[in-house]
Amino acid sequence: MTRRLALAALAGSALLIAASYATAVLPGGAPPAAGWGMALGIPATLVSLMILGAARPGQGIGRLAWPFAFVGGALVLGFGLALALPADEAAGVPLYLGLPLRAAVILYGIGLMPIAVLPVAYALTFSTQTLSQADIDRVRLAGEAWARGRASVASADSAGGGAHGSVSVDSTTASQDDELAAAAGTVGR
Amino acid sequence: MIAMTMLAPAPATPALPVESHPAIVWVALAYFAVVAAISVWASRRTRTAKDFFVAGHGIGLVALTVASVSTSVSGFAFIGGPGLIYSIGLGAMYIVLPASVTNVMGAWVLAKRMRLLGEARGLITVPDAIGARYRSPAAQALSGIAILVGIVGYMATNALAMGVVIDALFGIGIGWGIWIGMGVTLAYSVAGGILAGIYVDVFQGTLMALASVLVFLFVLKVGGGMTGISHRILSVDPAFLGPWGKITPLAALSFFFVFAVGSLGQPQGVHKYYMLRDPLQLRWYPLLKTLGLILVLLLYFGVGVGVKSLVAGGAMPALRAPDEATPAFLLRFTPVVLAAVVFSGVAAATMSAVNSFINIGAAVVTHDLPVALGRRLSNELRWGRISTVVIAIAAAALAQVSGSMVAFLGIFGWGLFACTLVPALAIGLNWDGATREGALASIGTGLVLTLCFETMSYLKVYSFPAGVTVSGLSLVASILVFFAVSWLTRGGRGSEIDPDVRLVMEV
Repeated sequence: MTRRLALAALAGSALLIAASYATAVLPGGAPPAAGWGMALGIPATLVSLMILGAARPGQGIGRLAWPFAFVGGALVLGFGLALALPADEAAGVPLYLGLPLRAAVILYGIGLMPIAVLPVAYALTFSTQTLSQADIDRVRLAGEAWARGRASVASADSAGGGAHGSVSVDSTTASQDDELAAAAGTVGR
Repeated sequence: MIAMTMLAPAPATPALPVESHPAIVWVALAYFAVVAAISVWASRRTRTAKDFFVAGHGIGLVALTVASVSTSVSGFAFIGGPGLIYSIGLGAMYIVLPASVTNVMGAWVLAKRMRLLGEARGLITVPDAIGARYRSPAAQALSGIAILVGIVGYMATNALAMGVVIDALFGIGIGWGIWIGMGVTLAYSVAGGILAGIYVDVFQGTLMALASVLVFLFVLKVGGGMTGISHRILSVDPAFLGPWGKITPLAALSFFFVFAVGSLGQPQGVHKYYMLRDPLQLRWYPLLKTLGLILVLLLYFGVGVGVKSLVAGGAMPALRAPDEATPAFLLRFTPVVLAAVVFSGVAAATMSAVNSFINIGAAVVTHDLPVALGRRLSNELRWGRISTVVIAIAAAALAQVSGSMVAFLGIFGWGLFACTLVPALAIGLNWDGATREGALASIGTGLVLTLCFETMSYLKVYSFPAGVTVSGLSLVASILVFFAVSWLTRGGRGSEIDPDVRLVMEV
């Protein structure tokens, strides 16, 4: 379910970005709405890609929902403020950490703030959400089973005079698929 | 892509304004001596094609991280990037701002799955992964061809950039610079393959991070801190420090989109996931890489705004060309040894980029295309070395003879990789509903749109509206085509996945 939602969000955000580009061909150039389309579409694209990569079958994204929501929100807010706040860059304006307000929002809010959240969340949830030794062992076993299946197909082909002694990637048979699935302990689609 | 345009002017363009100071020459020679020593060491450890193309899956976390940072920035971060900021203000930051998100996004979306595919299948190339995911030699071949097309541009423009920088260091002319730079790169690429490349990257990445921090500190000292720098710029050119710089919001956000999502399709970065010795070390990879990138990019931002401020305050004359920002600042305001390290680092960075692309191109020619055709070569290591030489010579020759065409070739590299590989690889490895037909259609769409649009734009047949980039348009089109065709062809043979690959997609 989590992955389906992420895929729907990814497709939707791609459409939004495409629509933003499309408005640029209108007479008079891109309207302000084009910037807003990108400001919403880009964070949605990035967060949905991260969810797609982090979600595990039956577990969703778990505690990662919070950092993803925070970073998605920070990107939308940062781009939104840059678009919505009045352009007041001029000599003598107050500076925030050495920059005018809107530039500070972009450089510090979008360029630096996510660093304090996302890589740390990735490291802290790595063994539960991303990869464990047990996962690696299962994958190794599945790979070995796949290689055995390929070898048996290749020897059967060469015994039967198969062309060039090579095997097409598509030539794995249904019964071998079953054997590999059993070896991998793979989960259903 | 902008890296190439900024770093690699046509051969007729004047060289960078670096004086042939003895200290600069000696530091450069010392730099090349270290590179030679590393390549000799690496050549003794390169015995198989797996060693040559993926360092035998044996690189540790720190080495891989530093090498990956080094490959990500290339020479653009030190010459073209600061020049671009000097020209268009903070709008140029949208090329590097995505780094706060892209490294960890790449780790979630691709790193684990690519590394596990290497574990299960012994894969060594990016097209290998696409072929395995879709059980499709055709998809493997088409993605390999797309990578080769992109590499032609990158290689030629980086070869020219090498010539420009080496000429600046030694004053030998751009033509000789191209061939000497390519000769040095070729020597360590052929001998030590990607292993030599990785450890050269570690050496030069470490030095560049250090140099970048020092240069940034000099910028703050000379400019009176960020407050002083901003006040001077705001007094003469307020738009420079606006949130979009001197470009439109749509253009700035388009940069962000292409460089954020497109990072998932850059073979020189994605390919490195195969090389990590222990997959569990991925835990700290995004954090370390992001911090490393921030350090290296301090020079990009610092010199760009610092030089603008110094020019605004009358402490420097206006630049004749934006690419002079870094050399002019270093020669005026930093010790000559630091300047020498940065100049040598720029040369090494372009060589490192060339090495990565030579290696990836050689893998496509000697591994992906033969495998896709069902005729695997008997000695991939030997053929890998031969194709490395051929590709390098072709790129150097192309850089020397193609004139202004070389900049055009370099323009579409990043975008082409992004729109041909992101849907099929990054989305496809995370969505079991993606089909072989969808992958082929998206790679084809990305390839055709990028080549056609960039050619039309180059020949001035059609100009895209302000803010619309060819790479952004092609990327979003290829993603939508991927979804649409996969949905239309779902349930057919093209949606079958091998059980071990399915397991990799679901762990």
